[in-house]
Amino acid sequence: MSVEYQPKVIGFLCNWCSYAGADVAGTSRMDYPHNIRIIRVPCSGRVDPLFVLKCFQRGADGVLVSGCHPGDCHYTEGNYHARRRFALLREFLDYLGIAKERLRLEWVSASEGQRFAELVSDFTAELNKLGPRSKI
Amino acid sequence: MDTELIQQIRDKARSLLAEGTVEGVIGYERASDGISSRPLFAYDSSATERLIFDETCAHNLVKYLLNKKSRKMAVVVKPCDSRAINLLLNEGQIERDKIFVIGVGCPGMVETNWNYKSETLQAKCRSCQLSKPLVYDFLAGGEFERQAEEETYSDITEAEAESLANRREFWLEQFGRCIRCYACRQVCPGCYCPVCFAERLEPLWVGIRITPEENELWQTIRSFHLAGRCIGCNECERVCPVDIPLSLLNRKLEKDVKELFAFQAGLDPEEQPPFATFKKEEKLEFGE
Repeated sequence: MSVEYQPKVIGFLCNWCSYAGADVAGTSRMDYPHNIRIIRVPCSGRVDPLFVLKCFQRGADGVLVSGCHPGDCHYTEGNYHARRRFALLREFLDYLGIAKERLRLEWVSASEGQRFAELVSDFTAELNKLGPRSKI
Repeated sequence: MDTELIQQIRDKARSLLAEGTVEGVIGYERASDGISSRPLFAYDSSATERLIFDETCAHNLVKYLLNKKSRKMAVVVKPCDSRAINLLLNEGQIERDKIFVIGVGCPGMVETNWNYKSETLQAKCRSCQLSKPLVYDFLAGGEFERQAEEETYSDITEAEAESLANRREFWLEQFGRCIRCYACRQVCPGCYCPVCFAERLEPLWVGIRITPEENELWQTIRSFHLAGRCIGCNECERVCPVDIPLSLLNRKLEKDVKELFAFQAGLDPEEQPPFATFKKEEKLEFGE
């Protein structure tokens, strides 16, 4: 029996904006792929590159890090730090052979449920196109 | 061997110890094979007679300052190692007035092993452009004229041009050989966390099994922790017992940090490192 490939997506969502945005998507009964597993973090700045690496090591196909829009961070500047960190990590992962498309950093506010649903659909579609990560 | 340079180092070390300016001098001495060299900790004037400096003195002695924080020490520092001093000053790990830097002009280092030294310079020395240490209290031997022979990042751009699948295969083969002896960490002047993430048990970030996956996690995060901090002394690669080309990781990050944030570690002890700061309006082609 062949099982259709379904990408595994891990989403690190910040407590103040993106998690609430995902909540809006849910409560408004918007349809989006269930491939995403959501982990709530206090801030996108809390996400250590180690978390992302660990996800990929344990078989994730894609990782989404999402926080408040620049300027809207609950802790004033966490998302700016995250932006620098992941801009560099993305290039580095690509260099090591993990396609840069597999890591995304996006800004989703607490009211952007629609945007969150579209984002997850788009990301899942892109990962589907890339196919499974070559196993070690 | 430059006897005049060595005499200058010995004289300076002796007078520093005699005057009581420092408690000890960290330098190099001839190893017992008569060819290579090893670190020397000189605490009295008789020991200073064993100090040497030549093209085999590859060790970055700045690492030892981290274990001697309570004592005032003098240290023999090559131009590349001097960036490590700036890094540790920047990060508040050492105090400027507690160290005495004996800078040396450096002719470039060769590969050494027990009873062996190569004829050619190490790769990092072939592209080195520092003629003298960036920070010193005393300069022995004066400046050396350096003419960089090759572009610093040519091997990186070559590796980047490979296909994604080839890069993956290459690195998994490299990481597959890692025995996780952590020599790369122990020798690195930038690796001084009291508890390394690799030794945390709760949560267990890096599994105990020595597998390519676990090694990849270790090597990736190790080099990422040094992003914008690696000063390019390349000691990690020198001590690696299985010859993993770690400089390809460290210098890739150095190159990207230069491109993205216009920053290079260890050049200025006052400049803010890239991950300690940010610009609100910067465009990083990510998270727009």
